[in-house]
Order: sequence, then C-alpha cells, then structure tokens
Amino acid sequence: MEIDVAQAKFTGIMREVFNRPDLQYSADLTAAEVDEWDSLSHVDLIVAVESEFKIRLSTGEVRGLKNVGQFVALIVKKAK
Amino acid sequence: MIAKETIDLSYRRLSGKGRRLELEAGWPIQRIALLSDAASQQFGPVLRALFHENGVNVELYEGAFDGIELEALNPESSLYRFKPDVIVLALSTQALRGKYFNDSRGDFADENLKRIQDLWKSLRNRTSAQILQFNYVMPYERVFGNFDVQASQTLYASVGRLNLALAKAAAEMSSVNIVDVEMISSEVGRATWFDDRLWNMTKAFCNLEYLPLVCQAVVDLVSTLMGRIRKCVVLDLDNTLWGGVIGDLGHLGVDIGAHGDGEPFFHFQSYLLELKRRGIILAVCSKNEMENAVRPFEDNPGMVLRRSDIAVFVANWDNKADNIRTIRERLNIGLDSMVFLDDNPFERNLVRELLPEVIVPEMPEDAADYVRYVSSLRLFETTSFSAEDAQRADQYKNEADRLELRAAITDVSEYLRSLEMRIRVSRFDAENLVRIAQLTQRSNQFNLTTERLNEDQCRVLMEDVNGWTPLYASLSDRFGDHGLISVVVLQHKRESLRISHWLMSCRVLSRGVEEFLLAKVVDIARELGFGRIGAEYIPSAKNGMVRDFYARMGFEEIANETGRTTWYLEPAKFVARPTFLKEWR
Repeated sequence: MEIDVAQAKFTGIMREVFNRPDLQYSADLTAAEVDEWDSLSHVDLIVAVESEFKIRLSTGEVRGLKNVGQFVALIVKKAK
Repeated sequence: MIAKETIDLSYRRLSGKGRRLELEAGWPIQRIALLSDAASQQFGPVLRALFHENGVNVELYEGAFDGIELEALNPESSLYRFKPDVIVLALSTQALRGKYFNDSRGDFADENLKRIQDLWKSLRNRTSAQILQFNYVMPYERVFGNFDVQASQTLYASVGRLNLALAKAAAEMSSVNIVDVEMISSEVGRATWFDDRLWNMTKAFCNLEYLPLVCQAVVDLVSTLMGRIRKCVVLDLDNTLWGGVIGDLGHLGVDIGAHGDGEPFFHFQSYLLELKRRGIILAVCSKNEMENAVRPFEDNPGMVLRRSDIAVFVANWDNKADNIRTIRERLNIGLDSMVFLDDNPFERNLVRELLPEVIVPEMPEDAADYVRYVSSLRLFETTSFSAEDAQRADQYKNEADRLELRAAITDVSEYLRSLEMRIRVSRFDAENLVRIAQLTQRSNQFNLTTERLNEDQCRVLMEDVNGWTPLYASLSDRFGDHGLISVVVLQHKRESLRISHWLMSCRVLSRGVEEFLLAKVVDIARELGFGRIGAEYIPSAKNGMVRDFYARMGFEEIANETGRTTWYLEPAKFVARPTFLKEWR
C-alpha cells in the first residue's frame, strides 16, 4: 500500500473516532496532543484501523507505537 | 415495516453515532444503569444508538469499573440517586476467570451464584428497577480436554453449571431476567468472541465487532418491558404452511408431513404450534376458496396445525391488507403487534405499503430455512411466562367465536345476557403478581395512565393495606375463561380516593366490565368514607380510545394540561349503571 493513501485513510479514521473533523495529519502527532485520544478511544482507533485495512495488530506492535507516523508505517508494512 | 434484520449492526457505525446523539423531544426515556466488571464505556454509545433506532431516549449511568458490590451495598450511592428503570449487570467471563485463579477452590459455581444472588437482593431492596443479568460466555481453554466437562471443578464445567443455576435463580426471582450472552457468542462462534488484546488494554467485554449483538439483546428485553410486544402471527397458506397450491393439488396433494417434501413445512408448523402454546395467536390470511383452504386442517393427517389452533381464519380473494384489518378487528389488538408471514413478495410489499405498522419480514427462498430465519428475527421476546400465557391464544379464538355469535344476534343486551358472564374482583395476591405486572406492561390502548408496574412494585402495593387498594378482575363466560383482564389501583389520599391505574385488556371491551368496576370503586370509597374520587388521564401514542373515558363514566373534569386531564367524582351523586355481569368470589 502507498504511504500517502494510508495517511489519508488513517487521518479520516482519527477524525471519525475522536470526533474531531479538524484534525490534520502530522507524522510526529501523539496521543498526548489530542484531548479525545485516551486509552478507550485508542481501542476504538485500533479496531477501526483493523477493519479498514483488513489487518490484525499484536499487543507488542501496538505497545511499541510512539506517534502517528509509526502507526501509519506499521499499517503500510502489515497491509503489504 | 420490514423486520429488524435490516439494521446494520456495525460497531464502528453505532459507536460513532451514539457519541453524537442528542435526546429527541417527545420520545419515551429509559433510565439505564450499566454495572460491569469489564469496561462499560464501549457499551454506552452502542446502547444509545440502538435505542435511538427504536425511538427511545436513554439516560445512561455507568458504574465505576469493577465497583458493582460497593455501589449496590451503599444506599447513598450515585447508582440509587440515579433512580434507574433498568439495571444491566454485564459480568464477564474474563473477570470470572481472574476470580477462579485466586479462588480457594470450594464449589466455584455455587460461590458465584451466591455472590450474584446477594447482589440482586441488595439491588431489589433499594430500587424497583428491572435487573438484566448477563450469563457467562463459556471460556475457550480446557485443561483436561474432553474430560473438562466431567471434572466438575474446572473453569469450563463451573461456568456451565453457573449459567444453569443463574437461569433457575432468575426464574424464581421476580424482576430479574437473563440476557443470554452465551447464546449470542455460540451463534457467532467462540473462536473469535474474545479479544484478549483488547481485554488487556482496556478490559473490553468482547471482540468489539460483536458488542452490538449484546446491546441489541438488552434493547430487545427493555422494549418488551416497555410493552412493545408481538401478539399475533398472520400466515399465508400455499408455499408458506404447505408446499404447492391447494386449489390445484387438493387437500391430500399438497406437501406436508413428517417425511419427504413436506418435512420443511412440518417443521415450520411445529414451530408455530410451539409459539401458540406460549401464547402467540395464530391467524390465517389466504387467497383461496374458504372450503379448499380449511380442508387440510381438518382432513390431512400430515398437518401439525388443526383448525382449532387458528384464532381467525380468512380465505377469500380480497386484498390481504383489508383481510389483515379484519383479523385485527376480530382480535382487537394493535397492528404493530402483528407479524405477517407470506412467501409471496407481491403480498408482502402490498401489506408493507398499506399497513406500515405490521411487521412483514422477508422470507427465505427455501422453506427448509423458515424456522431458523423466523426465530433469528427475535420477534417474540418476553420477560415472563405465566400459566395464563399458555391459554391466551385459545382465549383470543374464543373471543373471535363470540364475535360471530354477536353478528348473529342483533340486540346487544340480548347478546350480553346470552354470554352468562361472571366477574371476580380481588385485591392483588401473591399468586397473580406475575400476570398483574404483565397486564400493566402489555395494555396500551385501554390504559388511562400507561404507568407500567413490575412484580416488586405490585407486591409493595399489595402489602400496603392502609395506603392502597390494588384490585384485579377476572372474567369468564360460557365460551371460556378470559382470565385476569383488568387492573384498578386505588390510592388512599387524605382528601380523596385516587385512581392511580386503570387498565383493561381490549379483548373484553364493551362487556360492562368498566361500569361494573366503577360501581365497585364507588362502593369502596363509601366504605372507606371518602367523599371524592380523583382520577387522571395521561395521553400516550396509543390510548386515545380512553381519552373521554372518565367523562363517559360521569366524572367532572377539573384540569387539562396539554391533553393530560384530571377528574373527580362524588360517590354521593353516583348512580350505578346496570350490567350483565354476575359477581362470584
């Protein structure tokens, strides 16, 4: 999968899950910078990403993520 | 209305929708408390969204994570301040597993049953809310393999026993119903039910994809408690109840019987007969000559359903919407309590178009799928079952027969006299509380205030001898027993005797029951020394038929606030109207 396609889709999912239509993509964005991004909505984000990209993320992969850029890179790698 | 199978149960859609919902003006509100030993936060939006799709606003209270006992035991807790209508106990297998590993290994199922029963008792002592108790999804791990079921102390065997014990305990305890989560999980499959990653991260109850199914089961039960129930199935004949066309093949030529080509229809008829035995009325609506249509019910030995199982039988060449209206009138039930099953898409669309309130499911191409499909629609939920339910379908049939007699006799008084009706009026008693509560939940049309009562609330009224006179009436006549058909609750206020509830089954309209009961109420007011009887009418979407009830009964109106009216009657001025009812005790 092309990285710009993944970025666009991921941004759409974040906007939907956090109910923040104004969110802009940035590779170094982290959960701490988005009020609506807590441990619960994080799970909704993962579930939405998994169903959108038809992939399954392991506990270790999820735990290792530091920012949005790494999340998108993981998606691109898993979705082939 | 097309049945609910068309609702999209995607978690992503529902949780997104649920987070953005506002309360809708004019919709009924349910106050639901969700107590869980898993994360409750993911349930909230999905429940809200599903209730919204059923036209219900939800005020939701989410208990603190794993704080169920603390909240239940503390009379001052925010749970009780919330005043819930319904308490959902969403207990998870994952949390139970945690307890199992820390347990002293006594009888694990027994200990947990007791823990949950204690919880029910403390909730019941402090609220009159209905309790919806999740049963447990069977765990996936085994330590003995096949032998797990025999080794009684394994987690697997313990959960199985606990589920059985919970069902039995709930049946014995009023106001507790089981949400059969185990059934839902086994339908979709245990292989994908649990998501241990999500449990580890946030204590998510299950694979979130399936959470809407669990929430839907809660919505089904709450809707039932709100009186939204289905009472009657209207059936087509050719290729619905048997294979082939009766007009061409004759009564012995159609496919019906325990073996061969008739077996799918035999299975379907058997399922319908089970529905009838639990109180669902069966009616027939067929485009056929009456003579042909009835014949298999009488003379084909392969048939399961007999003529006497069908409350109203309509076979002619008129359009089916008109015929369903006729059936509705004969049974005196709401169109929205009727389900129409027909293999013919033309007829289904016609009925959907002309009678949008009637539920008209699609039907599978293959008759072998009828039972599975109709059952999967979850149309026939209930929260109780009394001995009287089993009689109900027959009672409706008797009533339809009475109507035929009535058509033959033109003078109403003569007709009423010929029925030889007997009525019994009693204070609430323990044996009838289930049925009394049920009647308050099911009566929509003849219901002056539409305030539903559950069994516990009825018991409170029953026991408060100085504060209340709660009455029910049973009726019978020469065609059969109607059972318990009316509830009138009287509150002893300082100045007046107040009618807080007056409701009646529409099966017994225009028999003089209302007149008889009012005379009874007046007698009671006189005995207790009340100079005034107060009453109220609260309009609902369905009770327009009793808007002028108190006026007709001779009450004076004292207030009218946007349709909600208040009335009084002075016993001293009351003159009883004659009825044809004989009282028996």
